[in-house]
Amino acid sequence: MTEEHLLKGWEEFEPGATLFSFEGKPDQEVHHENNSVQHSVADWRVDKPVHNKEFCIDCQFCWVYCPDTSIIPDVDDKGKGIFGHIDYKHCKGCGICVDVCPTNPKSLLMFADHLPVEEALRQWPEKEEKK
Amino acid sequence: MEQNRIVWDGNMAASQAMRQAKIDVVAAYPITPSTPIVQNYSQFVADGDVDGEFVMVESEHSAMSACVGAASAGGRVATATSSQGYALMIEVLYQASGMRLPIVLNAVNRALAAPLNIHGDHSDMYLGRDAGWINMVANNPQEVYDLNLCAFKIAEDYSVRLPVAVNQDGFLVSHTTEALNYLPDDEAYKFIGDYKPHNPMLDPEKPVTYGAQTEGEWHYEHKMRHEHAMYNSFGVIEKVLAEYKELSGREYKFVETYQVDDAEEIIICMGSVAGTTQLAVDKLRAEGKKVGLVSVRLWRPFPKEELAKYLGKTKTITVLDRSAPLGSTGALYNEVAAVMVDNGYNAVLLNYVYGLGGRDMTIDHLTEIFNSAKECSDAGKRVKPLIQTINLRGKELSFY
Amino acid sequence: MLELRWHSRAGQGAVTGVKALCDVMAHEGKHVQGFSVYGAEKRGAPMNAFNRVDENPIIDHSKAMKPDYVLVIDPSLVYTDIHYDIKETTKYIITTHLSKEELLEAVPAFAGKEIYLVDCIKISQEEIGRAMPNTPMLGALMKVSGLFEIDDFAGSMEKLLYKFPQKIIDGNVKAIKRAYAEVK
Repeated sequence: MTEEHLLKGWEEFEPGATLFSFEGKPDQEVHHENNSVQHSVADWRVDKPVHNKEFCIDCQFCWVYCPDTSIIPDVDDKGKGIFGHIDYKHCKGCGICVDVCPTNPKSLLMFADHLPVEEALRQWPEKEEKK
Repeated sequence: MEQNRIVWDGNMAASQAMRQAKIDVVAAYPITPSTPIVQNYSQFVADGDVDGEFVMVESEHSAMSACVGAASAGGRVATATSSQGYALMIEVLYQASGMRLPIVLNAVNRALAAPLNIHGDHSDMYLGRDAGWINMVANNPQEVYDLNLCAFKIAEDYSVRLPVAVNQDGFLVSHTTEALNYLPDDEAYKFIGDYKPHNPMLDPEKPVTYGAQTEGEWHYEHKMRHEHAMYNSFGVIEKVLAEYKELSGREYKFVETYQVDDAEEIIICMGSVAGTTQLAVDKLRAEGKKVGLVSVRLWRPFPKEELAKYLGKTKTITVLDRSAPLGSTGALYNEVAAVMVDNGYNAVLLNYVYGLGGRDMTIDHLTEIFNSAKECSDAGKRVKPLIQTINLRGKELSFY
Repeated sequence: MLELRWHSRAGQGAVTGVKALCDVMAHEGKHVQGFSVYGAEKRGAPMNAFNRVDENPIIDHSKAMKPDYVLVIDPSLVYTDIHYDIKETTKYIITTHLSKEELLEAVPAFAGKEIYLVDCIKISQEEIGRAMPNTPMLGALMKVSGLFEIDDFAGSMEKLLYKFPQKIIDGNVKAIKRAYAEVK
């Protein structure tokens, strides 16, 4: 559903259908109403990705591939880039992060959206033996 | 204003106006007969006469795409094309106007294949009719120069922000050398003014997205904003042309008229044939015939109200279309017919398809057309076919 | 209005000749128009170029004209049809190595016409160093038409050619003056 406040009259739009990212300067980090940060796609999700840091090697593949910038990175004590957390407001549950995860077992797996994360971690599969 | 007199063809006139406008980017894929425009400009770049970039791309689609990129990045941009190149550009012409980018295109009008022909007719101009560009028509090299300078100023006005095409007839204007007057460089540039970018993509202080998707909930609103700007441009074009007259002494109007006040037969046309028609009018006036000429300068937005002023009292109007309509009356005829209906005028209307692929249109041909119209005036009704041909070999051909 | 029709082969400089005449006449305050009929451009293909000169602005953009002068700058073109759309007073200036008698014998169509002959090919080869018959033809035109004093015209052409090396400019000026002297 389109939010009502975005349905302006023709005379209220910028010429050329241009859209802005910020209100004011970018460093003030006030996002414009048209910025996708302002719009949640969480309700599109059936399954959600869950992260298991026990197996994660911080390769950042998921961060590179996520089409909605919903893998939020962090840095550790030594300044090294690591997996931070998943932005569940903007994750639409596409599963690409799981697909590209290279570890065995995977460090990201899809679970039913309503399943608590702790329960998901308990259900984590064992390492698969190569045959 | 003191002006320099020089001999240029239509292409050189366009190139020189582009030089004086200090364009940032020209992206082009040269095609006959517009080739010399960008060839001259690339020479200016090579000689260091201009500070801009000349980008040679691999097709006209890419040329206009590069222009869209450069214009949205915040640069003053122009290019030139003709015929097949114009046709290939069409998709991106809609992008440029929809994104409201003030690009100036020199469209040197040429026939569209098949069969292949490099000479002038208006098929390409008609093809781009609905692309959302302001379209002006220049009838000789002087007008090409003048209208190019005006085009930048019109396009860049904030209330317009639309691309402008300056049309000239291939070869008949583009490769015809005539003496003309041009403004000193600094005066020409001062008239156009510095380029003021609006929402440029290269502004890190204000990141912006161009070309976003607008589904059903927004598209109509955006297109009508574009339409509104098109109608707004009438006032701006009028203002810019008036300022230019002040500066140069040369006057341009939405529709140019000659001997129309008491005219019983009027020819309405566009392009270089207007001059020849003027001579036919002189010739027939000398014989006591009441004939007149209306030459449409502004093709889009179409000056319906202005045109209506001259068509209320005449008996027969003959509209000349330099493009094969292929299944209906010509595009200019349709515009004129609409103006007649809108205003409750009821002169006899005739349509000629002429000059395709550069076929010559002489004073004698135009005299013949006026005489044919006179027969309708005398009869008080249309006694000739609706669509006729002139200077065509073979059996007489007409439609409706 | 003064009207000229050039008969040439693509690559012999008829368009340049047309533009040069436009330039010189425009600087004399005249209104000018120069154009040519292009086809599929191939070096050596016969082509036409046109000049109009008048006191008033030239607004006729049709190609129709009854020329006052027909300028033929390639010797072989006399054998083609160059006699259309002419009037009784039309003068021909023809590049040829033939004498008037030889030409009339070879091409009877010239009988009764006012023709002037000059070998622009030879003149340009000797003075400029290559077969560029356009500028000498303008010199011959000055003699036949009396449009300008030859020294004034040669001076104007010299200015017009300023971008070329001095040797080429000098060659052209010499060729113009020689054609002026030799045309008969």
